[in-house]
This record gives sequence, C-alpha cells and structure tokens, in this order.
Amino acid sequence: MTESSAPTSVVIEFELNGRRVETLAPVRLTAAELLRDRLGLIGTKVSCGIQVCGACTVLVGGEPASSCCLLAVDLDGTEVVTVEGLTRGRELHPVQEAFAAANALQCGYCTPGFVMMTVALLSANPQPDRDAVREWLDGNLCRCTGYAPIETAVMLAAERTAP
Amino acid sequence: MLPELGLVCSNDLDEVLGSVDAEHVAYAGGTELVPAMGLGLRRPAAVVDLKRVEALKGITTDTEAGPVEIGAAVTHRRIAEHPGVRRHIPVLAQAAGRVGNARVRSTGTIGGNLCFAEPRSDLACVLTALRATARVRSAARGGRTLAIDELVVGAFETSLADDEILVSITVPFQPAGMSYWKLQSYERPTLGVAVVAAEDRWEITVGAAVERPVRVVLAAGDSAGLDAFVTGLDIVTDLCGPAEYKHSVLRERLRTILEEPGP
Repeated sequence: MTESSAPTSVVIEFELNGRRVETLAPVRLTAAELLRDRLGLIGTKVSCGIQVCGACTVLVGGEPASSCCLLAVDLDGTEVVTVEGLTRGRELHPVQEAFAAANALQCGYCTPGFVMMTVALLSANPQPDRDAVREWLDGNLCRCTGYAPIETAVMLAAERTAP
Repeated sequence: MLPELGLVCSNDLDEVLGSVDAEHVAYAGGTELVPAMGLGLRRPAAVVDLKRVEALKGITTDTEAGPVEIGAAVTHRRIAEHPGVRRHIPVLAQAAGRVGNARVRSTGTIGGNLCFAEPRSDLACVLTALRATARVRSAARGGRTLAIDELVVGAFETSLADDEILVSITVPFQPAGMSYWKLQSYERPTLGVAVVAAEDRWEITVGAAVERPVRVVLAAGDSAGLDAFVTGLDIVTDLCGPAEYKHSVLRERLRTILEEPGP
C-alpha cells in the first residue's frame, strides 16, 4: 500500500430516527456496523453482506439502502430511519401491526428488513398491486414463511394506511 | 470491519480528479466496491467519494433530437424515474428500473455498473445496443470519448487508466423497433438480448451470458446469418446455467422477436 494522506476517520453528522447524531466514524466502518455495534441499534440485521438478502435494510433520505454495503461516512448529512424509528413509544407502526396480524414472520431475522422495505414501498407507492409488491420485495429473502403471508401483510398495511 | 481505509471527499470535480490513482479509487454507491473490499479482492488505501460532486449527478436532454447525457453518479432509480429518459429512451428506463433490487437501484449508479464491468449487466447490453458513448477524464490528460465496447473491454475489465474516471454517458434517443428482454433467476441477469428490428436490418446485442456485450448487424430476414451469430457466440457456463441452455434460450427468443412478430 502506498502512502496516503486521506483521513481514516471522519466526523459525521446525521439524523437518526429523528435525533441528531455526531460521531467520529472510521472510514472502514460500514453503516450497519455503526448502527449495531456503536449506537446499539441491533434491530438492523446483517446476513449476506452483498446486498442480496435485505436483512440490513434501512432508509437513507427516505430510500431503501443496504447498510452492510454503505460506509458509515456515507450517512453524513442524511436522514436515517431504522426499524427502531418506526414505533411511537409502545405503539407499533401500521406495517409492523400488519406483519403481526398476517403472521408474516416466523424466526423474525429477516423481518426488520422486510418492514423497512415495505415502508419504503408504501411511501413511493401507497396503493401497490401484488406485482409491485413482488418487484419491491424480490430483493429480500425469508427462509421461513414462503412469502405468501408477507405479501398479504403488505397488502393489509397498504389497505390500512390508504390515504 | 474492512481493512484500514481513507476517504477523499469533495464536491469539486477537479479536486476529485486530482485525487484518483491506483490506491485512491472512485467510489459512489458502494454496491460493488464495498463487497469487493470485504472479500479482500480490492485493497485501496482510500476511496474517493464521487457522490458529493454535482457535476457527476445530472441528467440533461438538450434538444428535441437527443442525446441524453447522464452523469456517472446518477442512480438506477433516478434513471428509471426520469421523465426525459422514460419518454425518449424507455428501454433504458425499464432496464434501470429492474437492475438488482430496490436497494441497489436507490444507491447503485450507472457509472459504477459500467466501471465494475460485471458481465451480467443489463445496462452494458442496453447502452451498447443504443450506441451510447462514455466521457472519461483524467487530471493529467484531459478527456476522451469512448464507445461502450471501448470502455468495457472484458469481464471485470475496463480501459480506464488508474487516474481516470468515468464522467458521463451520452445516450442517443431510442431508435424505432428496439426492445430489451432478459432471462433472470437470481440477482443478476442470466441472459440479456437487445434488438433493433428495422425494416432493412436487424441489430442484435447479447449481454450477460458473454464476457461483454456482443453486437451484430444483419440484413433483415437473414436467418442463416442469425443462426451463425448465435452459434459462434462464446457463451459462458456459470451458476446461472450451462452454455448449451443459454444458447438454446437465446435462439428461441430471437426467433420469437424477429421471425414471429406479434400483431
């Protein structure tokens, strides 16, 4: 490796679930590592590490992102929402309610990712048809449910939150 | 955690250009580079963040006749949703709207897709078929313009020098009779086929199943030429399937598109 004068840690500032965060982030740290290991938000899961499974999905600037493949420094200046940011006190978000009502989870490891992707979908398209649901969720893997209850949950959430 | 890594971050294109070299590599969506660094396939000293450079993030349509210029750091989602691209190059908007998954489309960029030169790329195939050109620049030698097949020269291989970055892609408006079809079972396409069926000629570009997109121009109706082209393609066997299978799907698909056009 040649000499480089580029800094290896950078102070970043961003909004996390409505609260301002300022932290010194090593450039080598992924966004998922920052959220889970340093900020204690372990709702975001890490599985494949290559953007295939969707377990680590968070919203950055309202758009879904794989936090395992973003650097923590990429969050600088953005608004980030994790699954922890959806609840209000003890009250679940309508998408979480719908997943529970439709039995759209078993082991639950993939669920935060599915929930965040559903929130992103309903924000872009509040009344999706089943094709749109499949198109948005085909990058999230679940090894328990067989997907049918998840599709049902998304349709239910859309119905309940219809504008 | 990744190995030790530095960051060059600037909103100034010249400063970014002055920073890129073999050890300071261009970085935008992270879709390809972060996993590659995680696996130890790439070990740069630092990443040079292109996301903060406005000059790399525009989509402009200057005239009624085209072309459309797309900055290298524009995400797939923005291409898919851009009214000008949807109107004048719908085949590109549709392909960009089906790249990877919704997260990849929100963070991954057209420049990253081309420069990583992963053979299983929808955009490389579609842009080759559209005869798009790539504008690349370096601080030392200025700019040059390349056809897509001069930029992407092999599997995971481009002609970019270490101190060069891709700045923008210039895409002509979509010609009449153009379509793109892909076969896909996993995250990336198994086979991509872009066809321009004009009255007098067939232009066919095959991607994903080959090391880089391959284009052929035939006289319309030249079935023998079509057959020879498909047979002669050096199709890759991989986890998406054996070469024989892809040859077979490709042959049938081209027959359907070109020789049995729908109503």
